[in-house]
Amino acid sequence: MTTPSHSPSHSPSDTPAVIRADGLIKDFGSARALNGLDLEVGHGEVHGFLGPNGAGKSTTIRIVLGLMKATAGRVELFGGDPWREATTLHQRLAYVPGDIALWPGLTGGQCLDILSATHGGLPQSSRDDLIDRFDLDPTKRVRDYSKGNRQKVVLIAALAADVDLLILDEPTSGLDPLMEQTFQDCVRERRADGCTVLLSSHILGEVEALADRVTIIRRGQTVTSGTLAELRRHTRTTVHAVTIDRPDGLEVAPGVHSSACNPIDGHVDCRLSIDADRLDDVVGRLHAARIHTLTVTPPSLDTLFLERYRDEPEGDDMIAAQTGAGNSTAAAS
Amino acid sequence: MTAGLGVLLRIQWRVRRRAIVTWVVALTASMIGTAVSIASLYDTPEKIQTYASAVTSTALLAINGRVEGLNSLGGVIQDEFGFLAAFIMPLLGISLMTSLTRGEEQAGRHEALLSGRISRHMPVLAASLVTSAAIGLTGIGFTIGLVAEGVPFVGAMLYSLSLMTLAFSFAGLAAVLAQLTLHARNVYALSLLILAVSYVVRGVGDVTGSWLTWLSPLGWAEKTAPFGPQRWWVLAIPLAAGIASTTLAVTLAARRDLGSALVQGGVGPDHASTRVRTGLGLAVWIHRPAIVGWTAGALILAAMMGSLAQQLLDAMASNPALADAIGASGGRPEDGFMAMTLLYLAVIASGYVVQAIGTLRGEESSGRLEAFIGTGMARRTWLFNHVVVIVGGLVMLTIAGSLTLAGTAALSTGSSSAFGSVVAGGIAYLPADLVLAGVALALYGYRPEAFSVAWAAYAITAFVALLGPGLQLAGWMEDLAPTTHIGDPPVGSPQLVPLLILGFTVMILLWAAFAGFSRRTVPRT
Repeated sequence: MTTPSHSPSHSPSDTPAVIRADGLIKDFGSARALNGLDLEVGHGEVHGFLGPNGAGKSTTIRIVLGLMKATAGRVELFGGDPWREATTLHQRLAYVPGDIALWPGLTGGQCLDILSATHGGLPQSSRDDLIDRFDLDPTKRVRDYSKGNRQKVVLIAALAADVDLLILDEPTSGLDPLMEQTFQDCVRERRADGCTVLLSSHILGEVEALADRVTIIRRGQTVTSGTLAELRRHTRTTVHAVTIDRPDGLEVAPGVHSSACNPIDGHVDCRLSIDADRLDDVVGRLHAARIHTLTVTPPSLDTLFLERYRDEPEGDDMIAAQTGAGNSTAAAS
Repeated sequence: MTAGLGVLLRIQWRVRRRAIVTWVVALTASMIGTAVSIASLYDTPEKIQTYASAVTSTALLAINGRVEGLNSLGGVIQDEFGFLAAFIMPLLGISLMTSLTRGEEQAGRHEALLSGRISRHMPVLAASLVTSAAIGLTGIGFTIGLVAEGVPFVGAMLYSLSLMTLAFSFAGLAAVLAQLTLHARNVYALSLLILAVSYVVRGVGDVTGSWLTWLSPLGWAEKTAPFGPQRWWVLAIPLAAGIASTTLAVTLAARRDLGSALVQGGVGPDHASTRVRTGLGLAVWIHRPAIVGWTAGALILAAMMGSLAQQLLDAMASNPALADAIGASGGRPEDGFMAMTLLYLAVIASGYVVQAIGTLRGEESSGRLEAFIGTGMARRTWLFNHVVVIVGGLVMLTIAGSLTLAGTAALSTGSSSAFGSVVAGGIAYLPADLVLAGVALALYGYRPEAFSVAWAAYAITAFVALLGPGLQLAGWMEDLAPTTHIGDPPVGSPQLVPLLILGFTVMILLWAAFAGFSRRTVPRT
C-alpha cells in the first residue's frame, strides 16, 4: 500500500488548514466507500481532488460538508466539526454538487435566486456579471435547459457567493471548452481574492491548469498528495533528441530507465525515459553528441495519474483519465 | 435551531404552490359540493329523521362510520362525506409531506440547499409547516362552506378540526416514513397501506361497536362527534400523534446522512432478462406497478361493495332518499347499486389509463425515449407498444373488477341471476375509459406540456360520476363525462348509437395521437 507522501509542513500557509480529514472511514451497509482517507486543504490554495469514478470523491465532500457522518476518523472544516456545526460553517462556503438537480418548472434565474438564498443572497452586480460571462439565459425554464446550462446555474450561484471556500464536485462535466475557460478564469479570480477552492475532477487538464496542490485517491484511500512539482519529482520525464553523433553511455547514466538510439537519415534518434531530477546529466551527454533537435516532456498529470494506478497491485478497474492535459514541450536545435 | 427555516418555507411554497392551491380548492369544492347536495335533498327535519333511521345497517356503518348526531344536517353531511373524507384528508397530508421531503431529496435537490445555511432537519420541519398551512386553509374552507349551508358554527368548526387533525396525523406518519425509506413511492405505498388498515379497523370497530375504533386515526376523527356530544378533547389524540411523529421525523433527519434511509434497497440483477429487452416487454415492466396498484384498488372496492350488497339493499329499501344520494335510484334497487359500483370501477379504470399514459412523459423527460427512438426503433412502434400494454392493463382491470363485484354480490345476496349482466355492464364502460385514454394520448402526442388537461378531463368525469346524482346536475353537464353515455348498465342497457360515437371518437383521438407524436420534436416536455 502506498503511504501518503505529504506531511503538514507542505501546507503553503501557516494558518490552520481549511479542510483536514484524517483516516476517514465510511461504510454504506457492508460496502466500504472510504477506507482511511486523508485530505488536507490549506488556506488560500486551489486543491485538486482526483480519483477514478467510485473512488470516494463525492462521499468525502459530503462528509466535509456535514451532509454525511463519517463511520470513523476525524474531519475538520474551518477548525470546526461539520456534522455538528453545519449551518454555522456553511456560512463561509459555497458548493457545486456533482449531480445537478433543479426544479424543472422554474426558470434558471429563479433557481439561481433560490440557491443563493441559502447562502444569504447574492450581490446583484456579481450575479449579472456572471450570467453575462457564462452566457446564460436566466428566463428559460430549467426543463428546457441543456445539461451545460443547468450546470451554469449552480456554478454561478456558487461563484458569485461571497465566501471563503468553494467546494466544486466535477463542476465542468457539462461545459463546452469556451465555458470551461470562463470557469477557470473565475476560479483564478476567486483565488486571487483569497478564496480557498477544493476542486474534485477527473479532467486532469483542468486540475493541472488550476491546482496548487492535488490529492489523488483510489478505492477510498489517499494514494498521494502534494504540489504538482513534488508529484512530478517522483515520476519520469520523456526526452526525445536527435543528435549528430551517437551519445556516449546513455544506457548506464544514473536515472535513465530506458533508452533507444537509432540512426535515421544520417542522424541519431534517441528516446529516453528518465527520472525528472536527472535531466542535467542526460542533457550533458546529449550535448556532447551535438544536439540537432531536443524535446523534453515533463510528466503530465495524466501520466502521473496512470502511473500511480499502475503501481497498485490490483490495477484492474477503469482509470477515468481523460486525456488532453497540455504537455509542456521545449524544443531546441 | 431554526437556521434557514424562513428561506426554506419560501422555497417550498414557491416550488409546490400549484399543488397546494389545487389540493385546497379541490377539497373545499368537494366538501361544499357534498354539503350543497345534502342540504337540498334533506331540507326538512322529517327527511333528516328518515335518513337517520335508514343508515343503521352494518354495511353503511362499515363504509361511512358510526356517526353521532345523525338527526342534524351536519350529521348527515358527516355521514355522506365520511367515505371520501376517510381517504382524501389523509392523502392531502401524505401527498404534500412526501413530495416536499423524500420526493425532493430523491430528486437530489436537497444536496445544494443543505450546503447553505440550512440544517439537515430543516426540510422536514418546513414541510410540516407548509403542509399544516395547506390543511389549515382547507379546514377554514370547510367551516365556511358548512356554515353557509346552515350547519351550526361550533359543530362545523369541530368537524373541520377533526378532519384537519386527521390529515395532520397522516402527514406526520408520512414524515417518519420519508426518513425510513429511500424512495417517495415507498412512502406512498406504506402510508396508504396503513390508511387501508386504519379504515378496516375503524369499520370493524364501528360495526361491532367496540373499542377497536379508538385504535384508528379515522376513528379519532369520528369520535369527536361534532354533531353529537362534541368531544373536543379527542382532538388531542391526532394532534399529539402528529406532533410526536413530526418530532421523530425531524430528529431522524438531523441524525442521518443526506440521501440515506434506515431501510436501504437491495441489489438487483446485473442483466436485463430477455423479456424486458424487447420493446413490448419493457413497456410491461414500466406499466406493471400502475396496473397492479389500480387493479388492487378496483378489486378492493368491488369486493367490499359486492359483499355488502344485501345490507345496502336493506338500507335503501327503508330510505329511498339514500338511493338518490348515492346515485342508485331507478329500476330494481339491486341493479341500481350494481350500476353505481360499476361506475365507480370505471372511474378507477380511467384514472389508471390517464396515469399510465402520463408516465410516458416521464420516459421522455428523463431522456429514455430518445435512447430508444435514437437507436432504430420507430416512434410509432414505441408508442404502439405502450398503448397495447396500457389498454391491455385496462381490459384486465375492468374484467377482474367486474367479475369480483358480480361474484361477491352473488355470494352476499344468495342469487347469481345478475352475474352476467353485471360483468357485461362493467365491460360496457371500456369505450368511455378509452375516450379518456384517447384524450390523454392525443395530448401526449401533440402538446405533452398540456398533459394536465387530461387530468382535468378525468376530474370532470369523476366529479360527474361520483357527485352528479346527488347534485342533480343539468343534463349538459352530465353529458360532459364519457361515462354518462354508456347508459348506466345494468339499470339501462348500452345503446348502439352512443357506443358507436364513443368508438369513433376513440379512433380519431388515437389517430391524432400517433400523427402528432410522429411529427413533433422529441423531447418536448
